[in-house]
Amino acid sequence: MEMKSRGYGGHILHLRLSTLDHEVIPTVRYARWGGGNGLGTALFWDYCKDKTIRDGRDPRNVVVIATSPLCGTMAPSAGGRCEIVGVSCGQYPVSWFSRSNIGGRLSSNMKYAGWDAIVVSGKAPHPVWVEIENNHVRYHDAGKLWGKDARQTQLTLFGMLDRQNQGWGWQPLPGKKDEMTYTTQRPAIVCITPSGENQSIHATLVHDAGNVSGQGGYGAVLGSKNLKAISVMGTGSVKAADPAALVRARFRVKERYAPDVHNPNLQHWGFLGNPMAINFSGGVFHSTRRKACAGCIMGCRLNFDTGYGNESKCQATAWYAHFALQYTKGDQQKAAEIAMRAGDYCNVMGINTYSFSTSLLWMEKMWHKGLLGPGKKIHSELDFSTLGSWEFAKAFVDAFAYRRDIGELFGDGIVQGAIKAGFEKEWRGGELDHPYWGIPAHGYDPRAEVEWGYATILTDRDINSHEFNALYWGLTFNVLQGVPPLVDPEEAATIIAKKLQPYVSGPECMDYSDKNIYSDAVMNLTRWYIHNNRFWKNSALFCDLRWGDLIDTNAPDNIGATGDPEVGEQVYWNAVTGDGIGFVDGLKKGHRTFVLQNAIWALQGRHRDMVHFADYIYEKDLEHTHFPFFMWSTRDENGIWRYEDVMHRRLDREKFEDFKTRFYRAEGLDPATGWPTEKTLRELGLEFAVGELKRHKKLGREA
Amino acid sequence: MNSTSEENEPKFGGMDRRTFLRTLAAAGVTATAGAAFMLPGTNLMVMPNSKGYLVVDMAKCMGCVSCMMTCSMVHHGEASLSLSRIQIQQDSFQSFPNDIHMAVCHQCEDAPCVKACPVEADHIDIVHGNIRTIDPGRCIGCTQCIDACPWLPKRLQFNPETRTVQKCDLCANTPYLDEKGGPGGTQSCVKVCPTGAISYVEKMPKQHDPYAYNVNLRDQGWVELGMTDKDFKLKEG
Repeated sequence: MEMKSRGYGGHILHLRLSTLDHEVIPTVRYARWGGGNGLGTALFWDYCKDKTIRDGRDPRNVVVIATSPLCGTMAPSAGGRCEIVGVSCGQYPVSWFSRSNIGGRLSSNMKYAGWDAIVVSGKAPHPVWVEIENNHVRYHDAGKLWGKDARQTQLTLFGMLDRQNQGWGWQPLPGKKDEMTYTTQRPAIVCITPSGENQSIHATLVHDAGNVSGQGGYGAVLGSKNLKAISVMGTGSVKAADPAALVRARFRVKERYAPDVHNPNLQHWGFLGNPMAINFSGGVFHSTRRKACAGCIMGCRLNFDTGYGNESKCQATAWYAHFALQYTKGDQQKAAEIAMRAGDYCNVMGINTYSFSTSLLWMEKMWHKGLLGPGKKIHSELDFSTLGSWEFAKAFVDAFAYRRDIGELFGDGIVQGAIKAGFEKEWRGGELDHPYWGIPAHGYDPRAEVEWGYATILTDRDINSHEFNALYWGLTFNVLQGVPPLVDPEEAATIIAKKLQPYVSGPECMDYSDKNIYSDAVMNLTRWYIHNNRFWKNSALFCDLRWGDLIDTNAPDNIGATGDPEVGEQVYWNAVTGDGIGFVDGLKKGHRTFVLQNAIWALQGRHRDMVHFADYIYEKDLEHTHFPFFMWSTRDENGIWRYEDVMHRRLDREKFEDFKTRFYRAEGLDPATGWPTEKTLRELGLEFAVGELKRHKKLGREA
Repeated sequence: MNSTSEENEPKFGGMDRRTFLRTLAAAGVTATAGAAFMLPGTNLMVMPNSKGYLVVDMAKCMGCVSCMMTCSMVHHGEASLSLSRIQIQQDSFQSFPNDIHMAVCHQCEDAPCVKACPVEADHIDIVHGNIRTIDPGRCIGCTQCIDACPWLPKRLQFNPETRTVQKCDLCANTPYLDEKGGPGGTQSCVKVCPTGAISYVEKMPKQHDPYAYNVNLRDQGWVELGMTDKDFKLKEG
């Protein structure tokens, strides 16, 4: 079957910025990668000629923006995600080849325009933006856009692209009579802001009001390439191999799992059926709508009548809330309004709010200690006595966007700035909570939620994959609501373990007691977690906040939708692509992608000795997190399951090193180095990587 | 009969159009077997009303465009916003509730698109509850029906591949939908919508009223989710 008839656009666009031209690559060459993370990794391998680079702002870096066959379809919560890969910036000690993700309408428009991915290489001789209108690709001078924020940039381009001045009614796109196409839609624009132009590693890519690719500093990477924006307008279609099967499964998953909006269950466990918007500002905003990415089964963001905060969610709404509440002396609503404005401003200015998730608390402490301020060890003219006000938030974000004041010191990374200012000890001791690769903890500390930490340190960035974490949130909400857990611990562990077959043999994988967190069972859970992350989540592009769905109390038996024969991820994949694969086949593809990524990391200089957490994770007990407890399932010596607080502990360095050895061996990597072996590469069809690894003396030795 | 406001509607012996048609029906002058016909000696086309309509709640839509992708999928086997018979337009830089606009075919009582068609491709389908629909085999792609549609965005779409025009048929002709569509059956956009922002009704909304097809579909459950059930006067047409 032709690629076009099974979910693909059929072509990949290679933007060669140095010469301001482009080439078209047939997608069929990369069909086995599926899409997203896998496709992007394979393209990076082929188009990045020097993979030893250790900072994404190097002009030799290649960035890939990749879709999946499901993008642009109504496969539930998979139609609107878009993957971004390339060498990142701002990590410590090395900025690895990494990934990020963006929602909204970008990937669907790319697909409707016929493009499965966009490869960006080289560096433009001057600032440019790229207009893509179906198969037409044009470079434009971006001199007049340079300096504009995300909102100004997109509104300017919307105005320029509305050539017929029809206000986005049925809009005929330019072309000869026979090529005339129509749309009512606005183009999807992804852009950088002054923070990207100034190559601050906190710079994001922004699309529409609040779709943001935060981690990895890809805003700075595109800034270093002089690429201000890409506008995509597609009027074509995504063809499915079995359209009726796709429609059937989408209807069925709604019946079985989607929230009942007429009678919502606010105590629900699971992600696919989660009815709540993810807003942590702490305020009450009634005059809102739910806002969703293309194809989502339930939007997780809100649009407001206030003029700010549209599409902001999760961390963007949370990063300033604590300080605002402090500043307003407990006025929850006023604080929430400040927090929403601060989050919105980060999106406008293209700043990754995760950068501030723990660092601003630390800076506040440094200020209290007299170590931060005018002429202090950390120099800043910002008035920290007004921390929590809108004015401070704006000045603080501006400082980071324009790399001035405190943003100058921390413009290449928070840990890097701390070390430069003489605070390495504070970082290593955990006062500055950045446990892995120089990036902040997500809130799910490696000492408590171990799979999150393990997968992060064994890959390249905060793993940001919530399928097991759903248990934490379900339990936490039940505790806060004062109701008993909706699912008992043995049932939860049993349901989850069945979803993880054949990686694990039984529920012991969900026993996070001190004695079991280094076991083979947890190690194999971690392997499943990474493989699922690499394929179903970030190659097929099922949204992290809806999939995998392991436990889901919307189903009568509490069994989530992941891998389900009627409504699991593979059902949509097969309906669109006609591939006829099983759920586990997808995990194998994820393994292949992960091994190729290990080859890239090896070329960048990774060795297993570098794969460890910051010292404090091994040396200090976890005492603080979002709440005063961190509940998880455990099993005692008598086999009795319970939910237990798993805080107040640290990781054991030696046991984790042993865990790594077993992990590398199971993944087909050399346990001595963590590098892929020739045998594994050949078994996985990655023989093309053998020569380059050999040349750089980075090929793993066989066991 | 192409006017867009009731004030401009022609009067028949002092009667408005609806009363006039009811009187004709009482007198036994009905549209034969439900089909439209020209009233002898006039330029009036008599057509039976559709037995079903789509209405929307623009304050409830979340802009996922699942309805659009499903619409084109059940009709064409492919997901396409340009081939969708329902159109959702959004601008995330606008404030709620002006950030999303929904547009559905009104299955108009006087169906200007049907009247405009020179080859009767755009017709009343009596087998499927009198929906206003287009026979792609007869359509010559002249787009006069699109021009005649009084609403913006136009509720008919030109398919550049087939060079014919299409419009909402309430899912009557859907080769990729397992279920029976059309009036009384499944409407894919209604069924797929995660929030229930589209509804199928049998009662004809007030005609020529740009606000009539935007209704409040929010209930207590929506309020429990933290949102508003307030009425907003938003133009659908």
